[in-house]
Amino acid sequence: MIVVKNLEKHYKIAKRDPGLRGAIKSLFHRKFETKKAVKKINMHIKAGEMVGYIGANGAGKSTTIKMLTGILTPTSGEVKVNGIIPYENRQQNASHIGAVFGQRTQLFWDIPVRESYELLKHIYEIPQAQYEETLKEFVDVLHLEPLLGIPVRQLSLGQKMRCELAAAFLHRPKVVYLDEPTIGLDVAVKVRIRAFIKQMNARYGTTVLLTTHDMQDIEEICQRIIIIDDGSVIYDGSIQDIKSQFGDKRVIHFELEDAADSFVLPETISEVTEVLPRSDEDPHLVSLSFSNKNISGAEVIHTMMNHYSVADLTIADAKIETIVEEIYGRGMKKEVQHEEIH
Amino acid sequence: MLSRYTKLYYLFCKQNLKVMLEYRMDFLLGVLSVMLQQFAGIFFVKIVFDHIHALNGWTFYEILFIYGIAATGRSIHHIFFDNLWTLGWQYIRPGKFDRLLIRPINPLFHFIADRLQQDGFGQLFIGIIVIGTAMPHLGISWGILEFFILVVMIIASGFIFVAINLFFATLSFWMVDSLPIVWTIFNLSDFARYPLTIYHKGIRHFLTWIVPYGFTAFYPAAYFIKGSGFERLALLTPVVAIFSCIIAYWFWNRGLKAFTSTGS
Repeated sequence: MIVVKNLEKHYKIAKRDPGLRGAIKSLFHRKFETKKAVKKINMHIKAGEMVGYIGANGAGKSTTIKMLTGILTPTSGEVKVNGIIPYENRQQNASHIGAVFGQRTQLFWDIPVRESYELLKHIYEIPQAQYEETLKEFVDVLHLEPLLGIPVRQLSLGQKMRCELAAAFLHRPKVVYLDEPTIGLDVAVKVRIRAFIKQMNARYGTTVLLTTHDMQDIEEICQRIIIIDDGSVIYDGSIQDIKSQFGDKRVIHFELEDAADSFVLPETISEVTEVLPRSDEDPHLVSLSFSNKNISGAEVIHTMMNHYSVADLTIADAKIETIVEEIYGRGMKKEVQHEEIH
Repeated sequence: MLSRYTKLYYLFCKQNLKVMLEYRMDFLLGVLSVMLQQFAGIFFVKIVFDHIHALNGWTFYEILFIYGIAATGRSIHHIFFDNLWTLGWQYIRPGKFDRLLIRPINPLFHFIADRLQQDGFGQLFIGIIVIGTAMPHLGISWGILEFFILVVMIIASGFIFVAINLFFATLSFWMVDSLPIVWTIFNLSDFARYPLTIYHKGIRHFLTWIVPYGFTAFYPAAYFIKGSGFERLALLTPVVAIFSCIIAYWFWNRGLKAFTSTGS
């Protein structure tokens, strides 16, 4: 559905010396430097996939999405969405895509939500029957009924975002780009929005490219993530893979019936697990750490149950959030390359 | 294609009208203030003509007629194309322009259809009254043909205003906001409300062939004024309008292309 080959985007940025003097100087003599916002990105997203596109601020996420939607023409490389080159056939591409750009509204500011949808119906040439059916469905899932008569400018952020989302999916686009759809929203709204996105994908096979800083969004919606840093893709794969590749460590906390002073690791698992230092607060607690490459959690639990009487246990999963942070951290140390031209 | 856009424009208009009527006070004040502004201009001309009989050979009613065509032509631009003013500061700077680029319709159409400016109705109203007042005093008989030509001239005048504003607003694609330039150029149109013959040759040529504001009022009006000497040039008005629009639209597309390659 989305094919990206060697995609590059360079920006020319006017360089200015600091202060008023620098500003005056730049009036007459301007130095430019090239910033490579996106460097040789490759990706292939299949129809119906839901992909999380993540990266720190300024990593090149928005630039990529602008090129995928056709708003921006790449410096070099190739993009094809549904067989169309978006920046060459922008309008044609536009009828197959939907988009939510963070806090910028796609709706018409002054007119009630329902009328906004009516206009979109005509803009996207949605057949009346399909429009009615889709709208009814969206109203149910996103609870839009009480909002339909209100002008967009009077809606709260959460209400507005629900309406935006409905607008992006209204014409049943093949691909939807969601740029920070849950930013600044409360948990209840986030949950509703995630459910809606999943439902759209299941029902219409909509391909979704989602950028967010909310790892919960990613974990709940996406099967695959692409991590970008400093303009380059540093990871592309399933969430499960990234977890095992970078975060294969698991920790299980066991609450024993007896005091854990005399605890000895059972022999069968002693080679692949490790007892974490015990805290004084809870004398019954034993925490075991292991890599799930070497032994499964089930096996650890099974062995423990056979040797000790266990009152309770909790499994701490490797959080995608920490993993991503770690990857950013590594990527960020790379020096930014500058080229100077006049 | 054309019928689709006509329908879309109608729908956009309907929504804009609804919003307008929602803010009734705004509507009335806007229309009134523009009418007052126009009236002040006419009043000034009247005062001048209380002291002189003719201005460089032009009578009061002839001047009034020129003024009326300028006002009506300008009102077309004011009512339907007012959004051109806002390209830089309301669309490009806040990033709202991107929204237009991901819609399956022509972005210029979308941009213009986004707004209907009620204040322009005041201008239209005054313009029609002024033309109506001046018409019987021009010494020609008004038949259907004359009326038809007058309407064509006024529409052409409106589109010349549009083309000039579009051209300079397009600069926003390179410089983020070209509003000061658009304003400066637009103010030149005030010159065109008086007979161009009263100006220096250089200004006259500039307003005829470079920034053709002359064709928004003086030339089309001169067509109906006997012995003005510009009857033939006046016939060029619709041609100038079409030509200006083509150039402006070409320039707009260039700007759009520059915008999509820099994304500033």
